[in-house]
Amino acid sequence: MKLFLHRLRSLLDGGQKEDDLRRELEFHLAEESEARQVEGVTAEAARAAARRDLGSMALVQEETRAVWTFPCLEQLAQDCRYGLRTLAGSKTFSLLAILSLGLGLGASTAIYSFMDWLLMRSLPVADPGSLAVLNWREPAGSGGDSVVSGMSGNVWRGEGSGRMSGIFPFAAFELIRQNSDALFSSVFAYYPTGRVNVMVRGQAEVARGEFVSGDYFRGLAVAPAAGRLVIPDDDRVGAPAVAVLSFAYSQRRFGDAARAPGQPIFINHVPFLVAGVAPPEFFGVDPAASPDFYVPLRANLLLNLRSGPNVDLYHNRNFYWLEMMARLHPGVSTTQAQAALSPLFRRWVESTARNDRERAKLPELRIREGAAGLDTLRRRYSKPLFVLLGMAALVLVIVCVNIANLLLARAASRRREIAIRLSIGASRARVIRQLLTESILLSAIGCAVAIPLALWGIRVLTALLANGADEFTIRPGVNWQIFLVSFGLAVLTGLLFGLAPALQATRVDVAGALKETRAGQPRTRARGLHPGQALVAAQIGISLVMLMAAGLFVRTLLNLQSIQLGFNGEDILLFRMNARQAGHRDPEIITFYSDLQERFRAIAGVRSATAMHHPLIGQGTSSAPVVPAGEPGKPRFIPHVLMTGADFFSTMQVPVLLGRGFDSRDRAGSPPVAIVNEAYVKSHFRDRNPIGEHLTVRLAPPLENQEVVVIGVVRNARYGALKGEFSDIVYLPFHQNSYYPLEELTFALRSSGNPLRHLNAVREVARQADPRVPVTDVQTQAAQIDQTMTQEILFAHLCTAFAVLTLLIACIGLYGTMAHLVERRTGEIGIRMALGADRGDIVGMVLRQSFLLTGAGLTLGVPFCLIASRLVASFLFGVEPNDAVAVCLSVVILVTSVLLAGYVPARRASRVDPMTAVRSE
Amino acid sequence: MGNSRQPQVELLRGTLDLLILRTLQAGPTHGHAIAKHIQRTSEDVLQVETGSLYPALHRLEAKGWVAASWELSDKGKRARVYRLTPHGRKQLAAEQTKWDAFSRAMRLVVNPAGQEGK
Repeated sequence: MKLFLHRLRSLLDGGQKEDDLRRELEFHLAEESEARQVEGVTAEAARAAARRDLGSMALVQEETRAVWTFPCLEQLAQDCRYGLRTLAGSKTFSLLAILSLGLGLGASTAIYSFMDWLLMRSLPVADPGSLAVLNWREPAGSGGDSVVSGMSGNVWRGEGSGRMSGIFPFAAFELIRQNSDALFSSVFAYYPTGRVNVMVRGQAEVARGEFVSGDYFRGLAVAPAAGRLVIPDDDRVGAPAVAVLSFAYSQRRFGDAARAPGQPIFINHVPFLVAGVAPPEFFGVDPAASPDFYVPLRANLLLNLRSGPNVDLYHNRNFYWLEMMARLHPGVSTTQAQAALSPLFRRWVESTARNDRERAKLPELRIREGAAGLDTLRRRYSKPLFVLLGMAALVLVIVCVNIANLLLARAASRRREIAIRLSIGASRARVIRQLLTESILLSAIGCAVAIPLALWGIRVLTALLANGADEFTIRPGVNWQIFLVSFGLAVLTGLLFGLAPALQATRVDVAGALKETRAGQPRTRARGLHPGQALVAAQIGISLVMLMAAGLFVRTLLNLQSIQLGFNGEDILLFRMNARQAGHRDPEIITFYSDLQERFRAIAGVRSATAMHHPLIGQGTSSAPVVPAGEPGKPRFIPHVLMTGADFFSTMQVPVLLGRGFDSRDRAGSPPVAIVNEAYVKSHFRDRNPIGEHLTVRLAPPLENQEVVVIGVVRNARYGALKGEFSDIVYLPFHQNSYYPLEELTFALRSSGNPLRHLNAVREVARQADPRVPVTDVQTQAAQIDQTMTQEILFAHLCTAFAVLTLLIACIGLYGTMAHLVERRTGEIGIRMALGADRGDIVGMVLRQSFLLTGAGLTLGVPFCLIASRLVASFLFGVEPNDAVAVCLSVVILVTSVLLAGYVPARRASRVDPMTAVRSE
Repeated sequence: MGNSRQPQVELLRGTLDLLILRTLQAGPTHGHAIAKHIQRTSEDVLQVETGSLYPALHRLEAKGWVAASWELSDKGKRARVYRLTPHGRKQLAAEQTKWDAFSRAMRLVVNPAGQEGK
């Protein structure tokens, strides 16, 4: 122990000790030679004898040093220093290896961290393993008849065909709750409130909440951070209105979670009392959403959020809206629960069928594990993330190949060095340890580069995936397990390719290796590929795959971006306001909105302003049957409907082809009017002029159908999705109440220059009009359109970056191999030139080698490309998986860059001076 | 690495420490003097290798048996002077006892008649 401390001290002491020893030994030498001189020897002879007597000064120093330091540590430091020097010696290769290793490791870690967050995380509640999610699956069937006659919630494609969903009618929830005591300890239900106006101390904001059944928090086994959570007694008609806030929201609105309980808040102008605060880590049951507050299910009767089809949520057995989870009793599996409840659900759902066609394809109950909560995010992101992970894995492979190549080349050119070290007495173990240290050193530096890259990558991926969306909840940290795994892979590659040649090299016949000339290592076989060349061919193959993928994704993005919008999305500022949630009612709300539009129009720099009841792009559409008056029966086409303010077509720059656009003449009380687009005219009027025709807007009871007159026809413009054919659209002025009651309005302001600079003026105008109505979702029209292409933008950017990276690595790999080859064949080239070969011959000879390697790489890459591109087919738009342009382009880019990389060594070969070359042989 | 030259009489393993400690019992002195003292006292039989002396000195120092400091030698040059520590003194006594027992045992076996060695 004492010894250890002493050594540690000396280690920290550093040079001082070393210096002391040197001086001590010098003193010894002086004394010794003096003593000998006394015996009568000459000064010079005495000094020499003293020295002889001392032996190797370095050895004495070495051995003494061993007393006060850790020899193994010392040697390690030595190895590291030497390794660093060697790495610095071949800068380009080392830099590339480290950088590519960093990028490969960083990228795969970042992407995998996302996947892990999405796929492996459990809900932060007690015993998440015993939670179960209830879904149903409806088999695919012909015809539109289904017991699910109306719904509000998510539906997705089920296994095979058919559709799946997690929403149920209220009666189904009651049915399961009352008949599952043997299986579940709790069954609870919930559904999102959507965006609502929450006012705290006079400050209005838009928030999202969750309606939860009384047993929600007990079922999830969540304890409050302050106050109390929702209990079953809160969830009944006539109970006092209470709300539970999320921890973050309570902090934001009240400053402190402990201060929130007992405070009044207004949700959509309805007073609620804050009962308590949920714990900080709790985010509900869906990782895709993190509600700001939780209110009892039956508070939806107070809030009356549902505009449009007015259904009685609690009695309609064909309207699906409520999501369900359950907590299983210990020992009960989801399979058992499903087997026990399926017949019950089937009998019930059969009783809700109204005809045989509906009875033919009834939804079946599906119960699955609920530990990770709802898989909204997984459905949305797991496939694109798998593609990204695939790309990152390819990068990692090419990185490893690169390192292998580097070390292989290094080991070969170090045979001489190793022979020297062995011959002057280094043990094999020592040499191997040195080489090992170098491999690990390389990986370690790469790793150090990778960590910040991974962190940065996560940030970039978050930004790219969120793309400005306000409710992006994925917040992964670095997943260290995967980092270690990828790091281990890199080290393993390093060891494999660093050590195997090293082991071979230490077995060298020392004398033979020393006799080798510098450039004259063992001759390469004339035919066939040696390992280094095979690696380069593999790199070229992988680069081709990445280039091809990049080509496909870039073309997809370009196709999307060149889609005809039908309106001018530049220089438009968008924002939303919801006056109804702040307490405005009919008919005043219409005056309020049209007045606002006027005031926004008056802001300096705003050229025109308009409004629409639904965002144009990326949020789906609003639709209703609007048919020519008098047309009987079921409508053949259901057009999209958009209520707009005055000046809509001039502001959005949609050309009016016939008649006129909406203006101040179309107000409450004047004859109701409509404007239709070309597609609608084509579907309903063929070649007839529709101006003056009457249309019937069919609305769900209790609203009455409305009759409107067509006053104009406009050119087709996008509404809803960007892709596909233009759909039929009927535009109605929001002033005339000819559609469902007005709720939220999206305002659009056209200005010259950056539209965002009017934001302050907009907020000020809105605040003056009514401070209870917050301005939300501020963005430009261009950004809104961009958001619909998040995935395509992500793929195009990342894949291009990856492709450039792999191409670069492949080029440098090829360059290195060819340069090596030229160096080794310098003598041969010299002889050839001496025998009359001209420069062109030599360049051709070396380039032929590059061609050979490229050819091998392409042969390897093309079939792989064809398979891989089919895997990403579903992510493409307007381009086929095996798009000829993409294939040709990537081959051309690849061949050009690779030949360029190969040309440099070829040129150098042609500059060989025959005399020098032959002599050096 | 490297080969050490053989001394005239090979020191028994572990005896160098005892020789150094015993030399220092007479008073603090520097490395060269220690070597000379051992050589002289043993009538030039025991040649202390410089290559093993200094590592040994530093090892003893690390163990805390001797302490070292830079002092002016009798010729006025700065020398690294070693002295026994109390711990070293105890160690010397122990080593001495061990050596006495060992050498007596050796004598008994090698020279049973009790004659002196050569």
